[in-house]
Amino acid sequence: MASDSIKLYALVYVALVGLATSKFVFFEFDQFFTYEQAFAGTMGAAALKGALIVGYYQHLKWENRSLTYLMAVALAFALLLMAAATYSIT
Amino acid sequence: MSELPPKTSVRRWLVTTNHKDVGILYTVTALFFLIMGGMLALLIRLQMWEPGAQVLSGIAYNEAVTTHGLIMVFWFLSPFGFGFANYFVPLQIGADDLAFPRLNALSYWMFALSGILMGISYFQGGTLSTGWTMYAPLNVPMYTPSLGSTGAILALAMFVIGITASTVNFLTTIHHSRAEGMGLMDMPLFTWSMLATVYMMLFAFAALLAVALILLSDRILGSIYFSATEGGALLWGHLFWFFGHPEVYIVFFPALGVMLELFQSFSGNRLVGRKWVIIAICLISIQSFLVWTHHMFLTTINLEVKTLMMATSIGISLPFDLVVFSLIYTLIKGRIRFTTPFLFAFGALLLFILGGITGVFLGAIVLDYEFRGTYWVVAHFHYVMFGGATALFGGAYYWFPKMSGKMYDEFLGKVHFVVFFIGFNAVYFSMFLAWETPRRVFDYDPAFQSMHRFGTIGAFVLGLSFFIMFYNFAKSYVSGPDAPDNPWEYTRTAEWAVPSPPPLENWGGRPSYASGKLEFVSEALTTPDDDHDGPAAATDGGHGEDHIESYPYWDKHASHASIWPFALSLATGIFFFGLSGVASSFDITTAETLAGTGITVSNPVYPIFTAIGLVGLIWTAVKWGLEDFYAPPMEIAERWPFEGVEKVKLGMWFFLASDVIVFGAFISAAVFIRVAAGWYTWEPLTDSLPGLINTFVLLTSSFTVILALVYARRKSRAGLIANLVATMLLGFTFLSIKLWEWHHEIYDVGVTLTQNSHGDPVQATIYYVTTGLHGIHVVIGLLIAGFLLVRAWNGAYQEDSRPVEYFGLYWHFVDIVWVILFPLFYLF
Repeated sequence: MASDSIKLYALVYVALVGLATSKFVFFEFDQFFTYEQAFAGTMGAAALKGALIVGYYQHLKWENRSLTYLMAVALAFALLLMAAATYSIT
Repeated sequence: MSELPPKTSVRRWLVTTNHKDVGILYTVTALFFLIMGGMLALLIRLQMWEPGAQVLSGIAYNEAVTTHGLIMVFWFLSPFGFGFANYFVPLQIGADDLAFPRLNALSYWMFALSGILMGISYFQGGTLSTGWTMYAPLNVPMYTPSLGSTGAILALAMFVIGITASTVNFLTTIHHSRAEGMGLMDMPLFTWSMLATVYMMLFAFAALLAVALILLSDRILGSIYFSATEGGALLWGHLFWFFGHPEVYIVFFPALGVMLELFQSFSGNRLVGRKWVIIAICLISIQSFLVWTHHMFLTTINLEVKTLMMATSIGISLPFDLVVFSLIYTLIKGRIRFTTPFLFAFGALLLFILGGITGVFLGAIVLDYEFRGTYWVVAHFHYVMFGGATALFGGAYYWFPKMSGKMYDEFLGKVHFVVFFIGFNAVYFSMFLAWETPRRVFDYDPAFQSMHRFGTIGAFVLGLSFFIMFYNFAKSYVSGPDAPDNPWEYTRTAEWAVPSPPPLENWGGRPSYASGKLEFVSEALTTPDDDHDGPAAATDGGHGEDHIESYPYWDKHASHASIWPFALSLATGIFFFGLSGVASSFDITTAETLAGTGITVSNPVYPIFTAIGLVGLIWTAVKWGLEDFYAPPMEIAERWPFEGVEKVKLGMWFFLASDVIVFGAFISAAVFIRVAAGWYTWEPLTDSLPGLINTFVLLTSSFTVILALVYARRKSRAGLIANLVATMLLGFTFLSIKLWEWHHEIYDVGVTLTQNSHGDPVQATIYYVTTGLHGIHVVIGLLIAGFLLVRAWNGAYQEDSRPVEYFGLYWHFVDIVWVILFPLFYLF
C-alpha cells in the first residue's frame, strides 16, 4: 500500500527540484565542469529524478516487484535500440 | 450499458464486447482481408507470367506488391490468430472474458476500420508503393506524393493503436484471470504461445507506432527525419526492423501454439519436453529483439554490429530446433489420427522447417550479399510466415465445431489440404528455383519464365483451395451435423469441457484446477463481507485482494454490450481519413509575425473530416468514461507474478511499458541522427531557462497530482478538487511556455520545422517533433484531468480513488519523459 504522507511526497518534491536545478548548474557554470562531466552529472541527476518519480509518485516502491521488472525490461529494450543503432554508425 | 441483442441482429455485432463474438468477428474479417490480399497476389503473379508484362502499370504493380504485403502481414495473419486467441484464451485459462471487454471490442473495430482506410487509400490518388518495408527515403512525399500513401500509413498507425490495446488486454487477462490452481506453467500451449506473442507485441509494435508517427510527421507536417542526409534512411531501417524481426515470430507464434495443441490432440500424447518447449518459446521471444540488423547487412552499418547479430541470428535457430524435435518426437510416441486439422498442422511443420533452413542462409553476412533483394527472400519468408500460418487453417477446422456448434465435412477438409499444399509448394518452391529473379521487379531473365508460369498456376490453385474451405464451412454451418461438446478423442484444454458453442458466460460453475484437474465449483453467491475472509483471501498465497472489495458485483451481471468501442473507432477512422489530406488542403503564407501569417484553405473536405473526427473522438471518449459498463475481475484467480496488483492498474503499467518504447524510439532517433551529424557539432537550439522553468512546472504538477490522490483517499472533496485544478493550471502553464518558446524560435530566431539558421535543419525537426509529441501527451493528460475534475465536482472518487491514481501514473510518466527531454534539447 502506497504512503499517504504529504510530508514524504513534499520531501521528494524538494529533492526533484534540487536535482533539476543541478542539471542547469552543470551546464551554466562551465568554468567548473567539462562538457563530459556536465553530461555525466546531468544524466545521473536525470536517472535519480526518474527513479524518485517512479518509485514514490508512481508508487512502484510499494508495488509488486514484478512491475519494476516489467518497466526495467522496457527501458532495457529502449536503451538497446539506442545503443546498437548509434554504435552501428560509428 | 445496453442489453446484448440476439446473434441474428446486426446491432449485436456492432455492440458486442463478449470475447467469443469478438473472436468470430476477428476471424471472419481476417478471412475477408485474406481474399483482398490474395487477389492482389494473383495480380502480381499474372504480371510475372512473362518478363515485363503490363497487366498492371509499373506504379500499380508497386502498389499491389506493397499493399499485398501490408494486408497479409497486418490485416490477415495476426488478426486470424487473434480471432482464435479472443475466443479460446479466456476459455483455456478459465476466465469469464478478457480483462477489458470494451477495450477488446475497440481493438477489433480499430483493426477492421483501419483495413477499410487502407482500401480507401487506393482511391486517394493511389496508395503506397514502397514495398511493405516502406524503406526511407522512398516513403517520404518527394518520392511517394499521393494522399493515398499518407492514408495507408495512417491506416497502419490506426491498426497499431488497436493492437496496443489488444496487447495490454491479453497481458492483463492472462496475468490476472487464470482459474484457481492454474499456474503459468500449467497453461495450455496455445495460451502460452499467445502470452509470448503479446509480450513481443508490447515492445515491438510500440517501435512501429513510433516510426509510423515520425513518418506521418514527415508526410503531414513536413518534417525531414527520413530525408535527412544525417542517417535518415538508416534510422528507418533500425526503427522498422527493431519491430520487423519480432513481427516474424508475432505472426508465427499463434500458429505455433495451434500446432502444439493439434499435435497433442491428434497424436493422443502429451507434448514431449513440454517444459523445455515453454522455455524455448520464452528464449525465442527475447532473442527476437537481438537480431534485427541482419535485415540491414547490405547497408553501411559497421561490421562489428553485423557480425554480432549474425551470431545472434544463428543462435535463435537453436530453441526453434528444440521445438521442432519436440513436435516430431510427440508424433513418434503417439498414435496419429490424420484428420484435416492435423494435416494442416503437420503440413505447417514441414513448410516451416523448409522456411527456417533457407533463412539460415540469409542470416550469414556473406551469403546475404548474394541472396538479399532476390526471390530467395520472397520464397523464404512466405514459407516461414504463410507456411507457419498454415497451422491456423488447421486451427480453423479444429475449433470450427466449438465456434459454430456444427461439424465440418471431413472429406472436403482433406481435399482442401491437398489442393492447398500442392498450390502452396508450386507457387513458393518455384521461387526458390528461380531465386535469381530480382525482388519487387516484374522484368526478369526469360530463362526463369517457365518457373514463374508454374508459380502463377500454383498461385491460382492455392487461391482456389480457400474457396473449398469457405464452401465447407458455409455448408456445414447451414446443414452440418451438430457438434458434441468434444468431437475429438483426446484433448487437454478446457474449451472442450463446455457446450459447442459455449454459453455467453462460458461456465456453469467456477472453473478450478485446485485439485489438479478441471472441476466446476458451485458456489452460493457471497456478499462482500463474506468475501473478505473467504474465497478471495485463499488465492495466490493470501495476497491482499482488497481491490476486489471495490467491485460490488454481487448484485450485478457483467456487461456484454457497448456501442462506444465502435463509435470511438469510427471517430478515429474519420479523423485519420481527414488527416491524410490535411497537408494538401492548406496553403500557408509565411511572414515575419504570427499575425501576418496567412492560411488559405484550398480544399475544405479533409479539414472538415479532421474536425468532425476530432470532436467525435473526444465526445465518444467522454461517453465511454461515463458509461455504466461492468467488468469485474475474477473473484478467485491465479495472478502470479502480479499478485496484489489491481486489474486496471496492471493494464496501465503494461501500457506505460509500451509507451517507454515509443518515447525511447523518438529519443533514440534524436541521438542517432545527432551522432550521424557529429555530436559536438550541435548546440542547443533554445535557451535553457524556459526549459528549466517548464521542468519546475511539470515537477510541481506531479506533486499536485499525488496530493490529489492523497486527498481523494482521505475523502476530502475540496482537497481533491483544489489539486486537480492546480494540476490543470500547471499543465496549461507548461503548454503556454512551450508555445511561447516555439513562437520565439520561429519568429524571432528563424528556426522552423525545416529551417535552422544555426546548423542542420534536421535538428530543428527533431526538436519540434519530439517536444510536440510530449506536448500532445500533456494535452491528453489535461483532457483526462478535466474529466476527473468534473466528476470530482459531482462527488466522485470519494469512495473509490483508483481513477485518480491511474491518471497519476500517466501524468508522472509524462513528467519522467520531460526529465530526459530537458537536457537533450536544452542543455546538451
